[in-house]
Amino acid sequence: MVKSTFRGGVHPADHKDLSREAPLREFLPKGEMVFPLSQHIGKPARPIVKKGDAVLAGQRIAEADGFVSAHIICSCSGTVKAVEPRRTLTGGMMDCIVVDNDGQFTPAADYTKRQDVSKLDGDEIVRRVQEAAIVGLGGAGFPTHVKLRPKDPAGIRYLIANGAECEPYLTGNDQLMRTQAEAIAEGMELILCLFPNAEGVVGIEKNKPEAIAAMQKACAGKARLRVLPLKTKYPQGGERSLIQVIAGVDFPITGLPADVGCIVDNVGTIYAVQRAVVYGEPLFCHALTLSGEAAKNPGNYIVRDGTSFQELLDAAGGLKDGVTLKKALAGGPMMGIAMASLEVPIQKQNNGLTLLAEDENERAELEMTACLHCGRCTTVCPMGLLPQLMADAVSVGDLARYEGKLYGLECIQCGSCTYICPAKRPLMQTFKQTKAEIMARKRAAGGKK
Amino acid sequence: MNTALNISSSPHARDKWTTAFIMRIVLLALLPTTIVGVAVNGLHALLIVLIGVAAAVGTEFAFDKACHKPDTWKDGSAAVTGLLLALSLSPSSPLFAPALGSVFAILVVKCCFGGLGKNFINPALAGRCFLLISFGRAMSSFQVDGVSSATPIALLMTGKAVNITQMFLGTANGVIGGSILCLLAGGLVLWALDVIHGEICFSVLGGFTLYMALFGGQGFDPKFLLAHLCGGGVMMGAFFMATDYVTSPVSKLAQACYGVLIGVLGGLFRLHGGTADSFSYAIIIGNLFAPILDTYVIPKPFAYRRAALRARSGDKRPFLQRVPRPVVVLTAITLIAGLALSGVYAMTKDIIEDQQRLANTASYKVVVPEADHFENVAAIDRAIEDLDGGVYGAGFGRAYIRETVAGVDAEGHTVGYAIRVTSSDGFDGDITLVVGVTVEGVLNGISFTELNETPGMGMRCAEPAFKDQFNNRSAASFRLNKSGASDNSDDGIDAVSGASISSSAVVNAVNAGLDFFHSVIKEGT
Repeated sequence: MVKSTFRGGVHPADHKDLSREAPLREFLPKGEMVFPLSQHIGKPARPIVKKGDAVLAGQRIAEADGFVSAHIICSCSGTVKAVEPRRTLTGGMMDCIVVDNDGQFTPAADYTKRQDVSKLDGDEIVRRVQEAAIVGLGGAGFPTHVKLRPKDPAGIRYLIANGAECEPYLTGNDQLMRTQAEAIAEGMELILCLFPNAEGVVGIEKNKPEAIAAMQKACAGKARLRVLPLKTKYPQGGERSLIQVIAGVDFPITGLPADVGCIVDNVGTIYAVQRAVVYGEPLFCHALTLSGEAAKNPGNYIVRDGTSFQELLDAAGGLKDGVTLKKALAGGPMMGIAMASLEVPIQKQNNGLTLLAEDENERAELEMTACLHCGRCTTVCPMGLLPQLMADAVSVGDLARYEGKLYGLECIQCGSCTYICPAKRPLMQTFKQTKAEIMARKRAAGGKK
Repeated sequence: MNTALNISSSPHARDKWTTAFIMRIVLLALLPTTIVGVAVNGLHALLIVLIGVAAAVGTEFAFDKACHKPDTWKDGSAAVTGLLLALSLSPSSPLFAPALGSVFAILVVKCCFGGLGKNFINPALAGRCFLLISFGRAMSSFQVDGVSSATPIALLMTGKAVNITQMFLGTANGVIGGSILCLLAGGLVLWALDVIHGEICFSVLGGFTLYMALFGGQGFDPKFLLAHLCGGGVMMGAFFMATDYVTSPVSKLAQACYGVLIGVLGGLFRLHGGTADSFSYAIIIGNLFAPILDTYVIPKPFAYRRAALRARSGDKRPFLQRVPRPVVVLTAITLIAGLALSGVYAMTKDIIEDQQRLANTASYKVVVPEADHFENVAAIDRAIEDLDGGVYGAGFGRAYIRETVAGVDAEGHTVGYAIRVTSSDGFDGDITLVVGVTVEGVLNGISFTELNETPGMGMRCAEPAFKDQFNNRSAASFRLNKSGASDNSDDGIDAVSGASISSSAVVNAVNAGLDFFHSVIKEGT
């Protein structure tokens, strides 16, 4: 079943022109580097260095604790200054390893030499991915080695390389696909070794014709790979949106892509897999877009994990003259996290720094009216939920209806409903809180038994 | 950082559309209709529109001020209500009507229930129905150039032909916002812009059309269906009133149910109801069903729908087998019944007409017995055409001249006239009778072709005791004597006891026929 898009979705202004033509440039920081111990979904890593230890770029400084967890890799050379709680981008404190950067970036091994990968078996590939501490770079940060080990590898029909990049402002993956198409294709072929019955599909929104052309060129002649141009629509890059389009199936929020025979990885993650498997290079740098109306020089960078957002911004020319920074987002405007301060470290899964001169949420609060029942939220919900009735149920405190009849827990928090609402009501925010409340009640009820 | 940064949950981008913007689009979509309505109906119509809008906005403003609420009048929703109300009024309505209607709509139906988004029925329709119920006579008078005449919908309700072209352009006699072309254009633009839900407007139109096709008695006759779709506020209702956000359900499925419900109720009321404003009531009843639809008709999320479950389990049955059986069966029955009905109608149309003609001729023969055959007279036919299907003269109630033929004897001399008259003032529907008059103006007698009165009461009009009173009378008009005692004066007719309404309708019809004879036929020949 070939569809060009999923149901629902919105068309926010993409603002990609600010940075889309800026080539990826490597940024080498000078200041201290901070490595939070949890940059992934799952248990935080355990530090294996202590204050005063000398470390090199690419060296493991914290070990995964358990199966669903990931190592932490140092991205510079220098000396460990402290292992202490530091503020991270969400605003909370987290245990971090702080490294005094010597500015040399001496690598722990030679990451420029190509190894022979023709005889690798699946276990070795997954081992290298795990060693390289790769997590999903699309935003969630799910450990990739876990994802590559589904219960039934033979049942996987599609390996989906997510190059949709539907988030406004972000262009890092666009540039990555333009310049590293061959490497991404090779990364996909390596992952396909694990799944004998799978086909590799690169999904790219049609607003990136150069990336589509580059990936098509790289996939040409490779029997198991193809490129699928997608309609430009948010959240096209959502895991379930892609699966709906490519595999023609959908699954509940409690399920996993592997349940319907799909593995979805961001193109950045696949590039990291290729680097790890072919060059032995662990994941310590990735593409990041610095953009937004308040940025003087929007651009795309290869940044080292642990770099402070502030240092990156200063090096990139800072703010535009005469513009006041209203809001700084780790990520894009649809899913990104608003940061209270830029003096926090860049983590593995951060793919953007968006600097806004206007805060549309602030304006929206002034324009808020009563719900019109216009139903636009229902039209755009990519999950087929009824946000308006869900909000009604929450407002009268009927959580049973919210969870049961309205399937409120199925919300993926893409924010499409809040985006589209002409009455400017904070729908998704309500659902986020309600979901948290229901989960908390369930935990409390479970604890009593 | 020396300035504090804003913190909030994602998403940090918002669409440009606001509540006020949507209301402005709706107002713009109604603009062509308003302009045509005012251009056709003149200054008084303009005043009605202005007063309606001003009263609506003013009421909301005053309520906001009085209750210390934020200024909600600026969002334009009150203006939309006022405009819709004004457009659904007759251009000859008194000027207090739009004012009173708007105040009722905004104050009682909207503000008292909590303002924007809280009204339980469409305020504009509520205002309109409030006016209709409270000031029925003033509201349903439709005058053009000071002459009262029937609206297309009134003609339709009595089964007469209407001028669809005029209805399309908005020049037909009717409400201010009567231009179907403009309404349709505005509605389709709103639909294309995603302002209104196609699920609602098209299911309203579809449900109504289907109901009329199945039960209207004329099958899928496009002219009949089009006339009904264009009349009685169906277009305005489907595109601008049923689609009102607040009073319609949320999910696409519930919206379709809601639309079909309104369409079917509209058709039901249209065919069997006694009022030309049936569609307004249909929508209001639909509004009342919206909350219950929202409670129970809730589609599952995509991932839980049957199609998704089947896709997961790898079911690859062809489309037709996946459609639920009742849907297939119902669709088939509907189509077959509709086609059969329209087929039967088309086949029997001529036969029925022939039979009707024969029956009429037989009746003519009864009242003009000297005639050998009957002929149409061009001048008289023109005179009837000039009446344009409207009520004949004054003082005869709702009497209509249907046909007049001249009775001609074997030598070719005109010996009398048979005038077929319908009175809509019967106790139970129309009474149609034929009045036979000699050339000198002596009433030969009458004969009924249509009489559906109450058996034992109104039906007794057909009995000789009543009917034969009209035989060989030379009065130019008759008086109904309801006293019970026998009236032997020249122009007295004794009523059937206990059926004065039917008797009066008959006398009125006869008088209309005689008047037509004296003022048109005798004058003209």
